[in-house]
This record gives sequence, structure tokens and C-alpha cells, in this order.
Amino acid sequence: MANKNAFYIFLAGTLVSLVIFLALTWDTHQQVDALTNADKLTEQVVAGKHVWEDKNCNECHTILGFGVYYAPDLTKAHKRIGTEGIKQVVLQPEVVFKDSIRKMPNLGVTEQEATDLAAFLEWVSNIDNHDWPPQDSADRMSAAERRATGGAGLSRGAAAFQQNCMGCHSIGGSGGSIGPALDNVGTRYDTATIEAIIVDPESVNPGATMPPQSNVSDADRQAIGEFLAKQQ
Amino acid sequence: MAEAAVIRTNMTDAAPVTARAEEKLVPYASQRVAYWYFVIALALFLLQLVVGLWLAISYAFTIPQSVVDVLPFGMTRAMHTNLLVLWMLLGFMGGTYYLVPEEAEREIYSVKLAYIQLVAFVLTGVIALVGFAFGWTQGRPILEIPTPLDFVVVLGALIFLFNVAMTVIKGKRTAILGILLGGLVFLALLYIFGMPFYRNLTIDWFYWWWVVHLWVEGAWELVTAAILAFVLIKITGVDRKVVEKYLYIETALFLFTGLAGTGHHYYWIGAPGTWLWVGGIFSAMEVLPIIAMVIDTFMTQRRHGVVIKEKIVWTFAVGTAVGHLIGAGVFGFAHTLPQVNYFTHGSQVTAAHGHLAFFGAYALLNFTMFWYAIPRLRGNMNVNKNMALSGFWIMSLAVLGLGSAMVVAGIIQTYVERVLGDGFMVAQGHMQLWFKIVIVFGVLLIVGLILTFWNLVFAKRPVLESEAIV
Repeated sequence: MANKNAFYIFLAGTLVSLVIFLALTWDTHQQVDALTNADKLTEQVVAGKHVWEDKNCNECHTILGFGVYYAPDLTKAHKRIGTEGIKQVVLQPEVVFKDSIRKMPNLGVTEQEATDLAAFLEWVSNIDNHDWPPQDSADRMSAAERRATGGAGLSRGAAAFQQNCMGCHSIGGSGGSIGPALDNVGTRYDTATIEAIIVDPESVNPGATMPPQSNVSDADRQAIGEFLAKQQ
Repeated sequence: MAEAAVIRTNMTDAAPVTARAEEKLVPYASQRVAYWYFVIALALFLLQLVVGLWLAISYAFTIPQSVVDVLPFGMTRAMHTNLLVLWMLLGFMGGTYYLVPEEAEREIYSVKLAYIQLVAFVLTGVIALVGFAFGWTQGRPILEIPTPLDFVVVLGALIFLFNVAMTVIKGKRTAILGILLGGLVFLALLYIFGMPFYRNLTIDWFYWWWVVHLWVEGAWELVTAAILAFVLIKITGVDRKVVEKYLYIETALFLFTGLAGTGHHYYWIGAPGTWLWVGGIFSAMEVLPIIAMVIDTFMTQRRHGVVIKEKIVWTFAVGTAVGHLIGAGVFGFAHTLPQVNYFTHGSQVTAAHGHLAFFGAYALLNFTMFWYAIPRLRGNMNVNKNMALSGFWIMSLAVLGLGSAMVVAGIIQTYVERVLGDGFMVAQGHMQLWFKIVIVFGVLLIVGLILTFWNLVFAKRPVLESEAIV
């Protein structure tokens, strides 16, 4: 009758695990609205999720770490490059990734779809998910990033640069590669020109793909201009 | 030349021998439906590998914008994963149709339904693949097929369950059939959770894993454990009671660790922190049933001093136990703890684990059944043994090679992107070399599969007077 005992072990083990699993599932449903800011889950966010699915974004990108590993994780994309940055990328990928080792297809996204998608990604970026992923965690700003932005005593300009610009630009090999590296930018532009670029990139470089950075405060913009002008 | 001569000389006078052998090899006529499930599964696997090779090339080299616009990576990746799911499910279903009559000791309830179901699944697969090329997709990885096709899949699954259940109800009931049927019902039920549109992304992924995790670490484990138990009883001749006892204990461990172990997917999705504890602890134990399975497989032979006559089937059976341990057990365990997973989650480490685990646990299991059943279904057991074993080793080493290269790429990615914070593309640049190595092993894998496919299905086999079972 050894098999009868084996069968009961099978039943008991399965049930214990199932009960724990279902109890935690119930608990998840209780807490998920608070953890994901469900009150901010508007119809526009849902429309953005439909764009996300219709354009097959998840089949190259990961989100919350799930999906495909061919392109960057987009959980915190909105914190990296903001609404304008996201729109720029999806509307003109062939321009943004001209020099990239990996390209993004032009998926025929409309202006409205791009706006909805950005709203969706903004909502996602505020999900309380234990500060994942590490590369976007403010608490875990890497040694390289700290080095690039001026070491332990971070100047205001370096801090503002780190916060606003490094999603696309890099210094010392640290940061994004959507825009050009800015290691020697001070040899080309002075503070005033850099500030002008931040306000309206096309005023200095007609045809520039960088979007105007309207969300940067006047004081931050000035600090970034001074900081970058010193990069020679 | 000599071999060809043997075939020719035996062609005429050996025919009655073959016919007699055939009757004995496949006891129930309805088992024959399994053959087309197996052949189509093999063909789809080959297609999956060809598409996979293109994916590896896309990682290793810069694909120009003009190509990317027409043939986006995402489209081909959807084909790669859907072919995987389709061929493996067809393999399991074929395996089920093959073993159920022998276990239940009666013919399948309806052979016609079995063929209708096969046509339904294959048609769905073809429409889905063509649809992907035109952007007809749900856009959710692995569960891409659009809702109308989902209903065809559900219909096919219901036909399948009905057919198998009717056969089992009217026939003899065994532990193997119980576990098998339980696993299949579980598998079909879980699929439903992947069908709705979820407004909240967190809830969306929560239930996505009810399908994907609970399939591969739950329902599929039951189905494959049952299939493996059937084959082991047949080729080792070990007492059924012994095999069934281990079947219960192993599936108990699989479900005990696997159900709550789903939590290892809920660490970073916006679910409560309790999952980090429960997921971490239970999934750390997920390796136990696999170790039990490996020990059990070896001990079965040792303890009973059985001389295994079917060397090929036995090699694949041991291979699946060991492959399961390496791919799912070791590589799964390596990054399942939250402290490690924080850095490896959603990187090439995950992809490496996926490739090694699917091949070790499920592809080799399917091949174990193919090598048991197809020679019997073809009515001739005189298989070219060396070629079959070469096929095993080429495929296994190729997957081990490509999986290892992906692990290295994943470690580079984890360090450069997540620890140094140097950006995604910078990390990918460093990883390209390792994807060139993946391409080399990928080609080798295709060679191994073609060899195996040809040997299983197309190779002419010498008909010998003596019924040599290899």
C-alpha cells in the first residue's frame, strides 16, 4: 500500500502550496491598486496600452522585466527620456538610431498614438516595484555615473545633467547613446549656446532630432550650461 | 553498399515478418494517429530553429534600417516562440495518443476526432504565423495569437480532452493516466487566464504567468512525467508499482514547489513584498524534484539490474533527466533568489535559462517518445544506432554551447548595464561576440536535428530476419 501513501503525500503537498498561492493572489488584488496608482490609470493610459500591444513593442523591449531582451527595458523609460523623448523615438526611430548598433523599425505610429503611449509609460514608471531596474534606480546611481558627474561633491550642474540629460547623452562612457556623447562639448559651444540648444535645439542645429526640453527649470538649465561648457 | 544489398535481398521474403512484428510493436491500431503529430512536430521544430538562427544574427550584427522596417525582430521572435509552443504541444498530444491505448487497454474513443483536432491546431498555427507577418497579433509575448484563434485553440483542446477522457473512462485506469489527464486539464484551464485584455499592466503580467509559469513548471511537468514513466516501464521492464510510486512523489514535489514558486516572477511587477519571501523560498526548492527524478532514473536501472535493450530511447531518457537538471534546475536556481534576480531579471541570463531548460526538460522528453514510438509506428526497429546517438550528442552539445554563450552575454549585460550603469546599447556592443558564438552552435543544432529527423522518419531501414531491437 506504499502507493496509497505516495498518493496522499502528492495530494497534501499540492494543496498546501495551492492554498499559499491563492491566499497571496487574493492579497495581491487587495494591494495592487495602491501599488500601481490605479487612480491615475486613465482611459488615455489604457489607450496607450493598446498601442503598446498593437505595435508589438513588447516583442523587442521588456517592461517590468518581461518580454524580449532585444531592446532596452521600458519600465522607467519615462523617467529617462520623458514624454517628448518617447515621442521622438517612436515617431522617427530611423533618425534617432541612425548611428546605433541596433535599429528600431518605423512602425507608422501617429502623433496621437505616441502621446497615448507616453502616458502609458509614464503611469508604468510610477508603479511601486521595489526600485527595479537597478540601472534606473536613483538610489543606486553607479560609481561610473558619480565619477562622470563630478564625484562625491556633486555640483548643481552635474546633478541637473544627471537627472535631465543622461537618458540620451553620455559623458565618460556613462549614460545613454540616443544623443551624441558630450565629453568635449565645451570645445564647441559656450554656456549661452548650450542653453539655447536646451530651449530649442533647432535654433542652433537646424534639423536636430533632440526635442526642446521645456521641463528643465531656468536655474537648472543655466547650471547644466555652465557644467557642460567646462567639459573640454 | 552492403546495407543496400541487405535491404534488397530481404525486400520480398521478409515482408511477412515485418507485418507480424508490426502487430506486436503497436498493439492498438488507433495509436497510429500519433505518427502525424510527431512528424509535424519535428518539421515545426526545424522551422523554429531556422527562425532562431535569424534572431541570433540580429543580435550579433547590425541589421540595416531598410531590413528592420520590413522584417522587424519582434515579428520573427513571435514566430520562434509560437513554433516552440506548437511543436511541443503537438509532441505531447501525439505522445498522449500513443500511450493512452496501451495504458487503458483499449482503442482511442475516436480516431476521427484526433485527426480533426490535429488539423485545427495546425491550421491555427499556420494562420497565426502568416498573421504575424501582417501584424495580426495580441502583442503579448508567447500569447500573441489573436482572440479569434484563441477560441479555436480552446475548441481543439476540448476535443482532445474529451477524446482522451472518454478513452480513459471506458478503459483501465492507471496512475500514469491519472497524472496525465490531470496535467492536461490543468494545462487547458490555465490557458483561459491568458485570454482577456487587462487594463492594469501589473495584473496583466500576474495572470500571464498563470499560463506560462504554471504550464512549464506545473502542467507540462505532469504530462511529461507521465510520458517518461510510461517509456521507462516499457524499456526497463521495472515493476509498474515502483515507477508509479516515484511518479506520485515527484509530481507532488513539482507542484508543491512550483505553484507557490510562481512568486519568483512577481518580485518586480508591483505586487506585494510577501512574494519575495514566498517566491524565493519555494523556487529555491524547485530543484529538488528534478534531483529526485535524476536519481530515480539511474536507480531504476541499478537497483533492478535491468539490461536496457533500447539504447537510443534510454540515452534520450537519461538525457532529459540530466538536461532538466542543468537547464531548469541549476540555471533556474542560479538566478531565482531576489538578491540575484534584482540584477539578472529580464537580461540574457533569463534567455539562456529558457533555452537550456526548454531543450533539456521538454525537447529531449519529446525526442524520448519519438524514438520509442516512431520506429514502432514505422514497423521496423532496425534503426541506425550510431547515427541516432550522434544526433543526440550533436543537439545536446549544441544547446549547451549556445546556452553557455548566452550566459556569458547575460553576465556581461548584468555587469555593464545594471552594475556599471553604462547603458543598454553599450552593453549590447560587448555582447555581440557571444552571439556570433550562438550562431555557430545554432547551425550545429540544425545539423543535429536534420540528422535526427531524417533518421527517424525518412531513413530506409534494413529489414532483418531476426527482430533485432536496438
